[in-house]
Amino acid sequence: MSYLEIKNLEISFPTPKGKYIAVRDINLSIEKGEIISIIGHSGCGKSTIMNAIAGMNTPTGGSVELMGKTIKGPGPDRGIVFQNYSLLPWMSVYQNIYQAVDAVMDCSKKEKQEIVLQNLEMVNLMQHKDKLPGQLSGGMKQRVAIARAFAINPGVLLLDEPFGALDALTKGTMQLELLKLWNLSGRDKTIIMITHDIEEAIFLSDRIVVMNDGPAATIKEIEHVHLARPRNKIEIVKTPEYIELRDRLLHLLTDKFSIEDMGMVYKK
Amino acid sequence: MTDTETLTADIETKGVSKESNGGETTNYKRKAFFSNVLKYAKSIFFACVGLFLCGGLWEWLSSYTEGDLPTPAATFTVFFEMLSDPFYDYGPNDKGIGLQLGSSIGRVLLGFSIGSVIAIPIGILMGASNIGKQIFYPIVQLLKPVSPLAWFPIGLVVFKDSDMATIFIIFITSLWSTLINTAFGVGSIPQDHKNVAKAFGFSKMRYLRKILIPYALPHIITGLRLSIGVAWLVIVAGEMLSGGAGIGFFVWDSWNALSLERVISAILIIGIVGLLFDKLFTLIENKVSYKA
Ligand SMILES: Nc1ncnc2c1ncn2[C@@H]1O[C@H](COP(=O)(O)OP(=O)(O)OP(=O)(O)O)[C@@H](O)[C@H]1O
Ligand SMILES: [Mg+2]
Repeated sequence: MSYLEIKNLEISFPTPKGKYIAVRDINLSIEKGEIISIIGHSGCGKSTIMNAIAGMNTPTGGSVELMGKTIKGPGPDRGIVFQNYSLLPWMSVYQNIYQAVDAVMDCSKKEKQEIVLQNLEMVNLMQHKDKLPGQLSGGMKQRVAIARAFAINPGVLLLDEPFGALDALTKGTMQLELLKLWNLSGRDKTIIMITHDIEEAIFLSDRIVVMNDGPAATIKEIEHVHLARPRNKIEIVKTPEYIELRDRLLHLLTDKFSIEDMGMVYKK
Repeated sequence: MTDTETLTADIETKGVSKESNGGETTNYKRKAFFSNVLKYAKSIFFACVGLFLCGGLWEWLSSYTEGDLPTPAATFTVFFEMLSDPFYDYGPNDKGIGLQLGSSIGRVLLGFSIGSVIAIPIGILMGASNIGKQIFYPIVQLLKPVSPLAWFPIGLVVFKDSDMATIFIIFITSLWSTLINTAFGVGSIPQDHKNVAKAFGFSKMRYLRKILIPYALPHIITGLRLSIGVAWLVIVAGEMLSGGAGIGFFVWDSWNALSLERVISAILIIGIVGLLFDKLFTLIENKVSYKA
């Protein structure tokens, strides 16, 4: 029995045209402390799976179990960074994080404030703590959302394209912060993240889940990343394992498109 | 709207970044200042054009009715006379305009406050729960189109007092817009915000205080603004029915005394007070609204 177990998961949505099956037959066992990336084309159902783990939506079939218990709703054991940040626009950056900490954590006010400041420091937003979300750039909002999820110190971190809006430099820093946090926890935290960035997936993950396209998307392939940790971003790209894995992932994600592209060329 | 906003934001940031080489900054600020002054001067000018046209029409009507309708000049003489001693009190049927106005405003504020205190929670209930909506919405739909004056007899029967009956119709008047706007505001809270509450396990109280109220507040204030506007409309008619004191009674009394100058002056004063109420709530509205 794994730490997090997804069994025959199916999620469908009622639409005016009838039931729309977003994902089905999702089976995935995740161990405690694993870092998993989910990669796939836009609209295939990555966020849908993530929300099922978060307990934000209810499976229409199968189940998600955390430590043997079926997930019935959200809980403080899982921290989520939503794809669209979901900050409350009438509250300062500080308050956005504080309200989450205050709702979840069971400690003194002073300790809570300390936690908020630590996490603000981590995402390098200390000077911006009194700004409203509307006054932040996309990347800064994303960092607030990350700080908020980290601040409640959950066992499972669910990150939906957490670094998508960041520039390459900030992205690199944030990836290292994520790994630092993971190491600090004794590699005990389980991290599941959605990304569109193959290199990021390889650099961070133990396993990479590649999805088929929807509707009724399934898991196409699960790739193991055998590169030893700690990984050096500059060094690993030269290793044959990395190159082989990257090519395989690229192939899994783009074969359909490259064939179509060739077709276009020939028709001319 | 967005265009001007980005424009001003632009001006501000440029002002800050060029702080070091002082000359340009002041130049920039001066330009912004003058363009603002010009904008205001223009809008004041056009407002004057409107007033002038109105005055002309009034003057013409006055000569057309051969003086039955008093001229603007005669009216303003009476208007300033009224304002020069607004608080005199020569018994129940002869009070200064300030006292009349004061008692009207007092009634409106009292009825409006009671109405709001009841309408806001029910509006929240209507917006937040489907059952609440199903219970209250039909009642609101049925009673909202009824002229508040129709409630006057009911107020009289219940309170046996015409003053209380007037406050009662203001109370009824103040309910509807606040109810509807509050319900709309609460009902339109985006899923994103609800997700935050759900994901981080907000308690009911925290959800109410940190998400529901802040999100719905601009809508609630809009409702209050509309409510007090209608209440101010209704008070004049209400006091004509109830008599006693108040600006509505004053209008009716002046008409009976055949002093149209006083009627028109009262109309102007009613308009100004209504405008001030509106401005006050617009101010609060702007204070509590946030940029998404
Ligand atoms: N509430 C909903 N109602 C109806 N359909 C939905 C709902 N949520 C998601 N879907 C559908 O499910 C499918 C998967 O959506 P999902 O958001 O999981 O995609 P995604 O893989 O996260 O895409 P992206 O990479 O663009 O974020 C889409 O076709 C979407 O239209
Ligand atoms: Mg998504």
